[in-house]
Amino acid sequence: MPEPLKLQPMLHGVDHTARPTWKLRETVKFYRDILGLPLVHCISAKGWGREKENHADFLHFFFDSGNESTIAFFYYIGTQQPPELVVPKGYIAMANHTAWRVESEAELLAWQKRLEGHGVNVSQFVQHEVIESIYFRDPNWYPLEITRSLRDVDVPDAVDAAATLEAAMELEDSGKWRNIEQLWRDKVKFVQASQNAELEKA
Amino acid sequence: MSGFYVLNVPEFASLIEAALKSGRCTVHELKGHYRFVEFEREIEIRRSDTRMNEAVWYGCLTGGLDGKITHFDGERLNLVATNEPVLGISTQDAR
Repeated sequence: MPEPLKLQPMLHGVDHTARPTWKLRETVKFYRDILGLPLVHCISAKGWGREKENHADFLHFFFDSGNESTIAFFYYIGTQQPPELVVPKGYIAMANHTAWRVESEAELLAWQKRLEGHGVNVSQFVQHEVIESIYFRDPNWYPLEITRSLRDVDVPDAVDAAATLEAAMELEDSGKWRNIEQLWRDKVKFVQASQNAELEKA
Repeated sequence: MSGFYVLNVPEFASLIEAALKSGRCTVHELKGHYRFVEFEREIEIRRSDTRMNEAVWYGCLTGGLDGKITHFDGERLNLVATNEPVLGISTQDAR
């Protein structure tokens, strides 16, 4: 019997994320040959479990995305892509994306050049508050991002994030939340509370 | 007291410089992790004065706002004092 956990359970980074594909050859070409991610593992199996769903026979394969993480795909043999799993056009579905980390601006530029060299439509650099990124899509239209950190996040970022989310959840509960201005105004009381808490600590 | 709060991180520091350029505000001392930029009646901040790219500019009030937005686009941000309740502001007003 393993010993009961004495500490708060911890996570240690991403092992893998996975998604289905119905474009096997194009997916392998993109991840292995264009991105150059090593194909490191592939399960090929008879469909098992989920009897009521008549689970298809399948492949589950993994590409090394660095730092002991992989990006993985399922290929369900003989199935058709359900319409609800076609990636919709537009920004909302882009929220569901994978972002990989690089260490420098030079690396980010190298990725942009490599992708462009293979005819991949890749964005310009976009600088956010703490990261700078390029964006592109894989053959399945899954959105991908490569990003570099501009600075480490610190205590002020976490305090501010908590204040933002407290206000946001309050507004969500109201059922009347329509715009970001309402959030910025509602947030003031949480910001002030954090300021007073800091003063009490000092 | 009308104004906005600026989180004490590098990417928002230039918002304070730009607000001061407008000549109509007082920057309070750092309290906790925020500075309060107080204005009377109204203030206009130009993005060119902040040197912010759009991704940061459009989140520049994320520290909190005691006031009302009357104009906010890629070029400038205009704020006025208000007593309106938070949920009294319609989507139209925010654009």
